[in-house]
Amino acid sequence: MQELILPTLNEYLFVSGLLFAIGLAGVIVRRNIIVIFMCLEMMLAAASLTLVAFSRFHLVGGLPDYDGQMLVFFIITVAAAEVAVGLAIIVSLYRARQTIHTDDLTSLKG
Amino acid sequence: METPWLLFLIPFASAAIIQLGLKRNAMASSLLSTLSVVVSFIIACSLLGSDQAGSWTWVEAGSFQLNIGYKLDQLATGMMIVVTGIGMLVHIFSLGYMKTDESKARYFGCLSMFMFSMTGIVLASNFVMMFIFWELVGLSSYLLIGHWYHKDSAADAAKKAFLTNRIGDFGFMIGILMLWGITGTVIFADMDGTSLGVVGTCIAGTAILLVFCGAIGKSAQLPLHVWLPDAMEGPTPVSALIHAATMVAAGVYMMARLYLSVGADMIPAWSGEVIAWIGGITSLAAALMATQQNDIKKILAYSTLSQLGYMVMAVGLVAPEVGMFHLFTHAWFKALLFLGSGAVIYACHHEQDIWKMGGLLKKMPVTAITFLVGTLALTAVPFTAGFYSKEEILYAAKGSPLFYLAAFVAFLTTFYMFRLFIVAFLGKPREHGAEEAKEVAPIMSLPLVLLALMAFVAPHITKILPVPLEWDLHFKAFPDLTSSVFWTSIGVFLAGGAVAFVLYSGKNQDPLSISLFRNKFYLDEIYQKIITICQDAVAAIIHFCDEFIIGTLFVGGATRSAQGVGNLFRRFAQNGSLSHYAYLMALGAVLVIYFTVFA
Amino acid sequence: MLFALILIPLLAAVAILLGAPSKKTALAASLANIILAAIPLTSWKSSCWDTGFQVLENPNINLSLGLYDGMSVVMLLLSVLVTLAAVYSGKCPEGREKLWFSSTLLISAGAIGAFLATDVFFFYAFHELALIPTFLMIGMLGSGDRKAAAWKITIYLAFGSIILLAGLLLAVGHLDGFAFADLKAVPAEHQNAVALLLIIGFGTLVSLFPLHSWAAPAYASAPAPVSMLHAGVLKKFGLYGMLRVGMVVAPEGMAHWIPWLCVLLLGNIIWVGLVTLNQKRLDLMLGNSSVMHMGYIFLAIAALAANGENEIAQPAAVLLMFAHGISIAMLFSLSAMVERKTGTLEISQLGGLAKTAPALAFLFGLAGMASIGLPGLANFAGEVMVFFAGFADWSPQDGMGWIQITTIIALWGVVLSAVYMLRAYRNIFQGPLVKNTTNATDISCCDKIPTYLLAGTLLVVGIYPQILLQFL
Repeated sequence: MQELILPTLNEYLFVSGLLFAIGLAGVIVRRNIIVIFMCLEMMLAAASLTLVAFSRFHLVGGLPDYDGQMLVFFIITVAAAEVAVGLAIIVSLYRARQTIHTDDLTSLKG
Repeated sequence: METPWLLFLIPFASAAIIQLGLKRNAMASSLLSTLSVVVSFIIACSLLGSDQAGSWTWVEAGSFQLNIGYKLDQLATGMMIVVTGIGMLVHIFSLGYMKTDESKARYFGCLSMFMFSMTGIVLASNFVMMFIFWELVGLSSYLLIGHWYHKDSAADAAKKAFLTNRIGDFGFMIGILMLWGITGTVIFADMDGTSLGVVGTCIAGTAILLVFCGAIGKSAQLPLHVWLPDAMEGPTPVSALIHAATMVAAGVYMMARLYLSVGADMIPAWSGEVIAWIGGITSLAAALMATQQNDIKKILAYSTLSQLGYMVMAVGLVAPEVGMFHLFTHAWFKALLFLGSGAVIYACHHEQDIWKMGGLLKKMPVTAITFLVGTLALTAVPFTAGFYSKEEILYAAKGSPLFYLAAFVAFLTTFYMFRLFIVAFLGKPREHGAEEAKEVAPIMSLPLVLLALMAFVAPHITKILPVPLEWDLHFKAFPDLTSSVFWTSIGVFLAGGAVAFVLYSGKNQDPLSISLFRNKFYLDEIYQKIITICQDAVAAIIHFCDEFIIGTLFVGGATRSAQGVGNLFRRFAQNGSLSHYAYLMALGAVLVIYFTVFA
Repeated sequence: MLFALILIPLLAAVAILLGAPSKKTALAASLANIILAAIPLTSWKSSCWDTGFQVLENPNINLSLGLYDGMSVVMLLLSVLVTLAAVYSGKCPEGREKLWFSSTLLISAGAIGAFLATDVFFFYAFHELALIPTFLMIGMLGSGDRKAAAWKITIYLAFGSIILLAGLLLAVGHLDGFAFADLKAVPAEHQNAVALLLIIGFGTLVSLFPLHSWAAPAYASAPAPVSMLHAGVLKKFGLYGMLRVGMVVAPEGMAHWIPWLCVLLLGNIIWVGLVTLNQKRLDLMLGNSSVMHMGYIFLAIAALAANGENEIAQPAAVLLMFAHGISIAMLFSLSAMVERKTGTLEISQLGGLAKTAPALAFLFGLAGMASIGLPGLANFAGEVMVFFAGFADWSPQDGMGWIQITTIIALWGVVLSAVYMLRAYRNIFQGPLVKNTTNATDISCCDKIPTYLLAGTLLVVGIYPQILLQFL
């Protein structure tokens, strides 16, 4: 049986950083608010991944530290709620302004 | 309460009652005012010769004290007789002159106010009190000149009088402060003349001259004389009382008081000389201006200026007793002349141009004769009051170039006074105003007769002379026929009278026309220019700078730079683009992480 | 007892906001305050008036009130007198009575608090409290360019207050506490800095040149009660603070800055005097004139800084503060009446008003004469004492020092003020009638009450200044 090669912490962090960077780039570059929202979720996932990775590699008495994973579950739940609220806001925004393109939403301009 | 306080209280109470309660009742206020001055006169007579003092604390701070007090001596009591005596006659005259004026109550209220303030100057026991009442006579004068305030000319003249006096008072106050610094007191009785010697003639002389600035303003000496001729816009009795007999002489009185306090020989010579020359030049310039005036009151006003110049000259020549003597005699006959001119103006339906009068001698003999008496006294005919005092002035000036100046002024005085008399009273009426003129009522002619009497006897009642005994005034009732001074004055009188008769007898218009004199050496115009340039233009420039440099550049600049920085951030950071905000936030987060973790 | 002096206007203001009859409540409150203020007059020296409680333990801040010395008594009298007159003055726009009268009372409460506080913190805080209603009144009920004026005065005064706060903190940091009784000179190396901060801070509040440009526009657009209370009472806070705090914590620092102070106060007197001369509107002229007269009080302060032993300087300053407060309040009250009767304050569009409104002309003349320092009225007594204070240290042998030269130049200001005041009086009240004045009516009895109150005060203090000087 081929030996299962466990990824190292650095690899996890690298993936998570990549994920985060992609998300951030999406938030900054994209104009469609739905896509921005998805990118935000991706950044959240990157953060969760980091947490899980740290929890996995931080051994307390031979076992991984499950506090981090607990937190991730927590984040997932809250994120679900957040998505619900966020999408609701986007829908009502669309109803109000007939657009979800950020270039058209500049009422904060000073 | 000592009697002298009544002298303050009575006129003040009269003024206050009129202002607060009797505004509508013209008759009652005029009678009240007249009554108050009569009572004052009686009290003043009873105080003659007394020598007492009293005071109460006006301001006290630590060891520093300013008092309101009175000081009675021959100088003060004699001057009180002049003030209340002439004041009384002027009040009586006013009863007739202002009979139909619609603001009679205000007029008499202001007269009482004036009597109060003038009393304060005369009885003052210290310089600060004198300054207080000095300003208050200025106020009364302002109010009375501006009695007919709805006329532009009267309102302007009143303002001019007050402001010109303020300039004089500017110097006066500095002088008082310096004297206080030098002698350590402002109280006349405590002033020690020797301290003037200690500080050196430069500082002492400057202090004396600055105090004299007050006299320049109030006694209308050059260069602050311009207000007095304009002050003739006021009712004529006011001109007689304030602008001829009493207030304008206050400068001379104040200088006499100063000399008496510090000792006349303590005055630095150079400052005395400056004072004498200012007086001399004023008397000459005013006499020259008087020769070409056509308004009867203006002629008398310039003659007042000229006579004040005489008094100041005497003061400067360290002969304050002579200055006070002339002040005393001049007060009576100049009041007489002004009241006489008032009677003429009243009779001619407020006509003041002498070339529109004429022949008044026949129409109003009492006025004309008393006016002639005044003229003779002013031109120093022997045995009139003016003769004695003018003689003394010439004596005082003897040996100085000022003597010739004084003699020439005496010539001019005779000339312009006879010009006035000949044109206005002799010949034939030139306009119907003069034709319809009638002798004035007894209430107006009575003061004239009494004053005419005083124009003869005043110098002989030595008891009321405002000259302290320690100043030995040596006038003789009979002139010294061997003296050159006597013959000089007779000579200039004859010459002046002759020239006037030759030039003006039987003329209907002025044969002379010297525009320089008629226009008062153009001084009014020059001052107007100076004020326009030095004050108004500078004020406009400063105002502009205030608005522009301070308001716009500094304050506005601070505002705009704050706004500019704000705008910069707004345009750069707050452009409404969501992704831009996200970018900045990320940038911020990166920076925060960089600084917290790596730096 | 002293708390009542602050609480009465405060509670009256709240009551008005809650719907009590505005004018009557305000009048009752200000009358009650006058009566209350009269009570301690005979026994002001006794410590029985001191009262207060601790607000904060560390730093030790107390809300303590007291009649710290005679200066507080005089300023208290000034505040209550002007408050009563201010409540009577001006014309409230229909329907805005609540704001109008409650703001007036709030300003008064702040001013009284500032003068009664015996703790640096509340001394400062009460003054700030009074600025809020000032801002509201100018911004909402003012005339002309009211919003700009309101912002200008508020930002300016906030700027001054901040610098003042810095100075106070720097000073208090070296001392034991915030109470006035604890104030003493700070260490020598900090004196100059503290003095400079206090001069700039207090100076801004008193419109010391060149920080004066807020005053005239604000007073011109403010409703009459506000300009009366601010120019008459609240502005004196800065001078009061200079004497109360500045002179105590940094005497040597003040002495260090005398040349600068002299130049700036001459800026007030001569520069602003000339600016006043060139004004075309009565309200702006009065506003500038009040800036100008501050110079004389600074002159007394400079004389005191030059020699702490100068006995005349402090009484002179306080007397002049009182006199100026009363006279400028009266002038603002009267100028509001002129505007109400004729519809304009442009000097060139007025004339001959004395004919149609003699009582107004008389009162205005009296107030004007007071403000140019005519003897017999309060300002003269103050001014003449200031000048004597300036010369108190002069010894003829040594020539003139800074203070003496400044005094002499400052005296010219007396001429300047006479020029602008008499010019304005002549153009407004004298001469022939013009269109705006022909149909003007004289003031009513109700208008006369506040001005007679102030005029009487001016006369009484002018004739017998000891009545106030006994406190000092």
